[in-house]
Amino acid sequence: MRQVHALGLDLQDGLHGRGAPAAARRLRRLLAVDGVILADLDGPVAGHGRRVGSSYVDGLLAQVFEYGGGTRGRLPDGTAVYAVPLMVAEELSGALVAVGDPVEADVEAAAALVAEHLDHAALRRARARIAAADLRSLRAQISPHFVHNALAVIAALVRTDPDRARHLLSDFADYLRYGFSDKGDYATVADELEATQTYLELQRARFHDRLDITVRMAPEVLPVAVPFLVVQPIVENAIRHGLERKEGRGHISVSGYGEGPLCVIEIEDDGVGMHPDLARSLLAGTGPESRGVGLANVDQRLRAVYGPEYGLVIETALGEGTKVTVRVPRFTRGVVAP
Amino acid sequence: MISVLAIGLVLVTSLVIGVYGVRAARSASDFLVASRRVTPHWNAMAIAGEYLSAASMLGLAGLVLKNGVGAMWYAVGFTAGYVAVVALVAGPMRRSGAYTVPDFAEYRLGAPRLRKLCGLVVLVIMLLYLVPQFKGAGVVLSLVSGTPYWVGVVLAGVVVSGSIAAGGMRSATYVQAFHYVVKLAFIAVPAVYLVAVAGADTRAEALHPEWGTRFPETTPVEFTVGTRFHLEAPVTVTDASGAPVELAAGEHTVAAGTEYVFPAGAGVPHPAGLPELGGGQWRTPLLGTGGFALFETWSTLLAITLGCMGLPHVIMRFHTSATAHVARRVGVGVIALLGLFYLFPTVYGLLGRVLTPQLVLLRGTDTVAVVLPAEAAPGTAGTLLTALVAAGAFGAFLSTSSGLLLALAGGLSHDLFQGSVPRLRLAVAVGACVAVLMALPVEGIDINVLVVWAFTVAASTFCPLLVLGIWWRRLTLPGAAAGLVVGAVTATGAVGWSILAPTPPGWPAVLLAQPAAWTIPLAFTTMAVASRFTRPPDWAEHAVLRLHSP
Repeated sequence: MRQVHALGLDLQDGLHGRGAPAAARRLRRLLAVDGVILADLDGPVAGHGRRVGSSYVDGLLAQVFEYGGGTRGRLPDGTAVYAVPLMVAEELSGALVAVGDPVEADVEAAAALVAEHLDHAALRRARARIAAADLRSLRAQISPHFVHNALAVIAALVRTDPDRARHLLSDFADYLRYGFSDKGDYATVADELEATQTYLELQRARFHDRLDITVRMAPEVLPVAVPFLVVQPIVENAIRHGLERKEGRGHISVSGYGEGPLCVIEIEDDGVGMHPDLARSLLAGTGPESRGVGLANVDQRLRAVYGPEYGLVIETALGEGTKVTVRVPRFTRGVVAP
Repeated sequence: MISVLAIGLVLVTSLVIGVYGVRAARSASDFLVASRRVTPHWNAMAIAGEYLSAASMLGLAGLVLKNGVGAMWYAVGFTAGYVAVVALVAGPMRRSGAYTVPDFAEYRLGAPRLRKLCGLVVLVIMLLYLVPQFKGAGVVLSLVSGTPYWVGVVLAGVVVSGSIAAGGMRSATYVQAFHYVVKLAFIAVPAVYLVAVAGADTRAEALHPEWGTRFPETTPVEFTVGTRFHLEAPVTVTDASGAPVELAAGEHTVAAGTEYVFPAGAGVPHPAGLPELGGGQWRTPLLGTGGFALFETWSTLLAITLGCMGLPHVIMRFHTSATAHVARRVGVGVIALLGLFYLFPTVYGLLGRVLTPQLVLLRGTDTVAVVLPAEAAPGTAGTLLTALVAAGAFGAFLSTSSGLLLALAGGLSHDLFQGSVPRLRLAVAVGACVAVLMALPVEGIDINVLVVWAFTVAASTFCPLLVLGIWWRRLTLPGAAAGLVVGAVTATGAVGWSILAPTPPGWPAVLLAQPAAWTIPLAFTTMAVASRFTRPPDWAEHAVLRLHSP
């Protein structure tokens, strides 16, 4: 069992990953044969044990790929060879070749196992691609509502308060540049705050300054790297669903501090709040269409990067305001701000 | 009473800064100011504030009094450690983005198991370092409030874990910077004042100790622990009942609870194993008293200087700098701030020999900085000065131990167990409890001996890991693990043996008590040799490049 599990780890980056030679070695031991060759559609990618002339292997592989099933062969010195195609998700994507009197059923079982691991590797890559696409969609999501509102506000101010309009316009430009930048998947807390600030400036103008903002940041968390666009969507959610519908002045506070090895960011508003069940469904991504996917997306990305225990925490009740807490490790391997 | 008030004031102020010092900005225009990064000056002060521990405030002065001017090497080592930090690790650590040493290990070598091993070593170092802090706090609290030692230690544990639970460490940078100011002011002002009021004779005697040490006035000495001491000349003392007791020259053993009143001008007896106060050995600027003083000095210096970079809570603070360049500048600032601070403990040690020599007989030299002001300046001034020093020492304890406790709790909850927030709180409580329990039986051991133990372990484990990890591409996972294990076991074991169990005399005793000179090279060699036989990870080149590219 341990060998099978280790084989899965070896193949976690696919046939072209750095674990392929180790996988070949492990397969040779499992099958108890002289040599093992792993091949993709272009030819051998990894092998272990007894070497076989490349022209012979190429011929055998061509035969396997054409026939699509287990193929027997014999080396010039009479050693038996058995080659089995690797069918990943019902698609031919390589072959497993065993040299030296292999038990054919074993080789077929091993090939099925390898194919399954390769399938998992492909799924893992797909998941990463989906996460990246999610982020892109979140970036794209900034635009319609917000761009329209921001421009409308600026247009309204152009005559009455041209200075402020100019200021806001440059904020808007900064904000767009940040939102559309493709420098990487991570940014420092300081960068995130700056983007949030420009966003809040624009929203304040729209609210005719009936929006109060408090920011409290312990300086030691400012250089911490976090996933790109984590703070702003939460702030946006607080304004759109908490404060916009509230009568009178609204208050939003963003605070951050260190807690041992963790970095904590809290976004709190005194808006209309929501039912805890709604908050739960929002995080699950099953909330009403009108609420957008901002929170669910942030939550998913945090979990994907840091692990399931580091998702968003929402504390809320109807009429009681909302507090969203982001709690992430200060350092995680691979999370580096450019 | 005033001392207790002063300590309370320091505590409350740091709590307030901790909770509200997270910069607040109410209007949007202030917003940018708030998000500006912490300046290097603040950061340097914060690092110095966290680093200057009870060992520096109390232990150093005590050691100068007890062992002689050679103890000043500790100050040199504590400061020189940052030269090594700045030169070797500060910049690259910042570039790696790693927050703790286990983080760095994971960044560089990428294995969860190594992370756990590092977490374990963090635990050992932090506990060894916490114990003397609690000891210092216990000593100070019991001195100023008159309670037994164990009450002070337990109280210190409650206070420090309580202040962390209350969120007092949220803005660690400002709290720690505040503590640097507190410590510097509270040790420097009394020191300068004491030097001024001590008078020309005392100053001259403090600086020129060639004629041995005599009691400055009639001094009652209550032996709280049994002591063996040596008298140079016969003296007549009075015991508790007032009857005169004739003490001949030579060795004497007194039981715990004995009380003798020494007349003014009598020579101060020196306990067995310690140099005569102000005598030739005391004046030799080397650590250690045996025949291996030079070796002991080198070994201790090596431990302290290289141990500094291995201290988990020191490395953490460089994470706050915006860039690697700033991190190095911060390090240089720290060197200046430490250099300034370390002028003062020496003053207490030198004056203490003249004014409070009886502390040597009581094995209470760690208290010299607190006891001295009352002796030198009787009356209100002395009380006030005692309060200042006590509050400063308590501040030293508070800032260092909360930093240590947080690092320890982080290691427990983050590196050893995949932890959540309640776990972090729990880890703080557990860490404090263990440290308090370990601090209870060590009343008789010098603070600095314990501190050097922690430094020795750090220098024999994380120092090689960081230095080789940063500067040598060929470091491998098995190599690092082997080096860590060998370093941790030899360094912890050797010093532990020499403190807790009798050691064979001569060279073995010295090698066990001051093992840094052989454990550090041993750890380096183990790492290097084991790495030679294994393969470095594929990304080693890339990872090291990132550490050094601007």
